[in-house]
Amino acid sequence: MLLASATALPVLLATAGCRSSEAFTGPDPLAGRPRPSPEVITLQAAIAAEQTMIQLYKTAIDGNSVTARSRRLQPLLAQHEQHLVQLRARLVIPPGTPEAQGSPTTSPGAASTAPVRVTTARLRAAERASAASMVQRLATVEPALAQLFASIAASDATHAMALGG
Amino acid sequence: MAAVSTVSALQAALAAEDAAIFGYGVAGAHLAGSTQSAAEQYWTGHNEARDALAAMISKLGTTPVAPRAFYQLPFPVQDAASAMALAAYLEDGVTRAYLGLVAVSDIRLRTFGALAMQGPAERAAFWRGTTQAFPGLSASALLLSRPSSASS
Repeated sequence: MLLASATALPVLLATAGCRSSEAFTGPDPLAGRPRPSPEVITLQAAIAAEQTMIQLYKTAIDGNSVTARSRRLQPLLAQHEQHLVQLRARLVIPPGTPEAQGSPTTSPGAASTAPVRVTTARLRAAERASAASMVQRLATVEPALAQLFASIAASDATHAMALGG
Repeated sequence: MAAVSTVSALQAALAAEDAAIFGYGVAGAHLAGSTQSAAEQYWTGHNEARDALAAMISKLGTTPVAPRAFYQLPFPVQDAASAMALAAYLEDGVTRAYLGLVAVSDIRLRTFGALAMQGPAERAAFWRGTTQAFPGLSASALLLSRPSSASS
């Protein structure tokens, strides 16, 4: 009987207990940062897109706040900055991460790809594209965040209209 | 956030459209020229939206909420300025109502609500003369500051 048990034990472990034993021989579950959830990734993408939009407006205004065009663009820029504040407020950054330590969070390549002169047509197209992207993003996030995305998309649509679209 | 019933959200949007239809009838009487034309165009659009929502609700096996015979106006409407303010107020209400649809679990209806609210948001901006950062969203839904970082 003992012999049978001794020989049967590895077989039993190999069939019924193999998942449990692999948990202790596999990679350390606490090693490294956990991967962000899909919702966090979506929120980070929305934040990056808003930062790009803000940079586009700043380039369009180009430090010249006295022209009629700049006066028209300033309120829209201010609203995008409000969008960014609300989006960022919903992202909890764990301590010890680069973002928590104040590292720049602008989207990669945003400064290098910004054109020197940004036309009103370019801004209008960007607003329409942003509205469409935000509507796509809201499908899979939790309800309150989906409503924020939808509201921002509606704001972007009104901007496109205000820019002559 | 409590789960939002699809039917109740659709009924709320329908009620908002009915209110807008009534209100535009009042506002239009104080407008002229291009603003009156705009009001007539938007009134027609709200009627079409109302019909579409009623059909959606009926398809779900529920009786669409009936329009009221009279709606209390938020302020007196006596001239073009107050008529345009009323129009903006009505469109804000429709925007809010469609935003309510975005909270339902059905992804198709979420998308429908998000797209449907862009029209009234644009019209509100047209009547008001300015855009808003968060159409349809109440101040209480906005966070005032960043939440503190989670402790490890």
